[in-house]
Amino acid sequence: MKAKNVKPDKPSYSWLEIDRKKCNHCGLCVEMCPMDVLRFGSGKVPYMRYRDDCWYCDVCVSVCPRKAVSMNDLPYLIR
Amino acid sequence: MLHLKKADIVVIGGGASGTMAAIHANRANPALKVVMLDKSRLETSGAAGRGMDAINTIVLPPYCQPEDFVAMQTKITEGVLDQEVSYAYAELGPQLVMELEQIMGRAKGDLFPVDDTGNYHLRYVQPVNKPMMLYMDGADLKRSLAKAARATGAEIHDRTPALKILTEGGRVLGVLGFNIRTGDYVFIRAKAVCLTAGPAGRMGLASSGYLSNTYEFPGNSGDGYALAYEAGAELVNMECYQALTMLKDFQGPACGFVAGTRGATSSNRVGETIWTHPYPSGDTRLGTWRTFAEGKGPIYLHTHHLQEEIIRIIEHIQFGTERTGRFLFHKRRGQDYRQPRCLELAFAEEIGACGGHSSSGVNSNRRGETNVRGLYVAGDVDAGLPYSFLGGALAMGGVIGEEAARYAAGSDWAGGNPRPWAREEIHEFEAPLRRKRGLPTHLVEFKARTRLQYYLKPPKNPDYHEIALWWMERIRKQDLPEVKAEDPHDLLKAHELRSILTVGEMMARSSLFRSESRWGYQHWRVDIPEKKTGWNGTWVSIRRGDRGMVFEKKKVPPYRWNFPTAMEYSYPRLSFDLGVPFQKDSSYNNPLGDPWTKGRMERARGESKKSRQTRKRTKS
Repeated sequence: MKAKNVKPDKPSYSWLEIDRKKCNHCGLCVEMCPMDVLRFGSGKVPYMRYRDDCWYCDVCVSVCPRKAVSMNDLPYLIR
Repeated sequence: MLHLKKADIVVIGGGASGTMAAIHANRANPALKVVMLDKSRLETSGAAGRGMDAINTIVLPPYCQPEDFVAMQTKITEGVLDQEVSYAYAELGPQLVMELEQIMGRAKGDLFPVDDTGNYHLRYVQPVNKPMMLYMDGADLKRSLAKAARATGAEIHDRTPALKILTEGGRVLGVLGFNIRTGDYVFIRAKAVCLTAGPAGRMGLASSGYLSNTYEFPGNSGDGYALAYEAGAELVNMECYQALTMLKDFQGPACGFVAGTRGATSSNRVGETIWTHPYPSGDTRLGTWRTFAEGKGPIYLHTHHLQEEIIRIIEHIQFGTERTGRFLFHKRRGQDYRQPRCLELAFAEEIGACGGHSSSGVNSNRRGETNVRGLYVAGDVDAGLPYSFLGGALAMGGVIGEEAARYAAGSDWAGGNPRPWAREEIHEFEAPLRRKRGLPTHLVEFKARTRLQYYLKPPKNPDYHEIALWWMERIRKQDLPEVKAEDPHDLLKAHELRSILTVGEMMARSSLFRSESRWGYQHWRVDIPEKKTGWNGTWVSIRRGDRGMVFEKKKVPPYRWNFPTAMEYSYPRLSFDLGVPFQKDSSYNNPLGDPWTKGRMERARGESKKSRQTRKRTKS
């Protein structure tokens, strides 16, 4: 059985969720993330490009003007 | 692409110290050009990126006087202290609080609490009978500092860590930086450099195994220590490890300062109290170690007995400042501060080095000067002011900004064309990116940090420290040349591995060099479990030599005050009575030799020879 190709900007596991409908692509979360975790993906919606560098500080959630970013959990190894 | 620039001052690291350095340099001399390099993003980087709830160590009369602070620091460093630095910081307390109120646009009594008489209200935390801790409503601290630093007109390069400080003849010439988003390089020729790049907070790996599960900001991978060492600066106290009690798995503060000063208590599994104060000095660490060694762990922080109002205050601070992910951490585990034993604390899960929570780093005097001309240090990378926390970082950051401005105004740029040197450095730095295949950076980091944690964790065992050195050398020689970086972001990770290994080597070698035990748990050698008078008032000094690290004993400057240099603890004698083990009669010993296995080995060899001969015949 072959594994389905995972699109790099849609990781199968992520503790951040970005609501594509709410996101206005302002890039504040990308700019403010202290660990450079986020980058723009398809449709200019941010995703966790460097997921395991996340310090779960929730800066991305706090700076989003549209409340499009939510942190649903902490990294699996910590939670 | 390599860009060449020129500045009077380069600030490396945009945390609490770095922003204050830029602000003060501009204030001292607005004509100077200041360039700041921040690995992260100025508004959110560093330990205070999400704000801070207190200045843990500050002197504000009438609650305490500068001499009280020097006495406290002399005690917790057990005499290994430059008292002049300590006094210089202590005198800056009133100025610091007023400046922070001004930078953050907050009135007196709003940012910091004041008492009924209008004085700033300090709390007890340190192991002395003087209060030296000031609460702060500082969730916006870092954003305000960043705004003020940007307002100075300083040229700020976010996402641009420094790779190397160029020196010649014992003075700084400039700094090479790298943008992890664009992949571009910048060399800034400079008269002075303020190094405020934070602690070595990505050393030993916590048991979760998650690489970013760090107490310190994970960007602080010890680059500051490595940069200073490579530039020829002297480092001290690298054997005084940072070993903290933390919220298990979360790797955030144990709440000893936030909750402990508001009535929370802690005890081990059998209800015994572990410490009489929560300060991270060697005595409390030793007591914590004992509880776990005796099988009485975990340690619990108790808040359930507090009034609802106090619990809400603790929640407000813990969930809104510094490490705000704590809210989600508790929520997902169903933990509530109103329940007994809900907060499990762990100990020494990540061994590291820090000037702010311990006393390790680059040696500096009261002006923040190092032995390298034009190089100034402050904050967690600085060992001149030990256990300085946020207050020390802010105040001494300001000091070095002013000192660097004074120095830069009176000196000139030096050095020839830096391009050939920079190109050579860049070529070496980029090697992991050029490789087509190789070891992923995260795997090598995992290997290095698990080994460091296992072998360096006190009580210090000299053989284990030698094995740690073997591992670091092996990883440096065998693994680093095989590391493959995927992109500029990942290339920084490959570079950080070098810093981690350099700092690890300093920690291990300093520990082996200091032939005594001191600072309680933090430098407890099981083979020499006592303080030696020959080491009183003495640093282990590290410098770069032609053939690696050079270590020497170095006396601290003469004391101005003869304050006591001892803490309240003694090293335990490790002795475990296990009863009388099984005694075997000598007539029941196994015989020497093993003819049975030997016979099988010979038979296997014979069969193998026969098979080779058959194959040969078939071929011919």
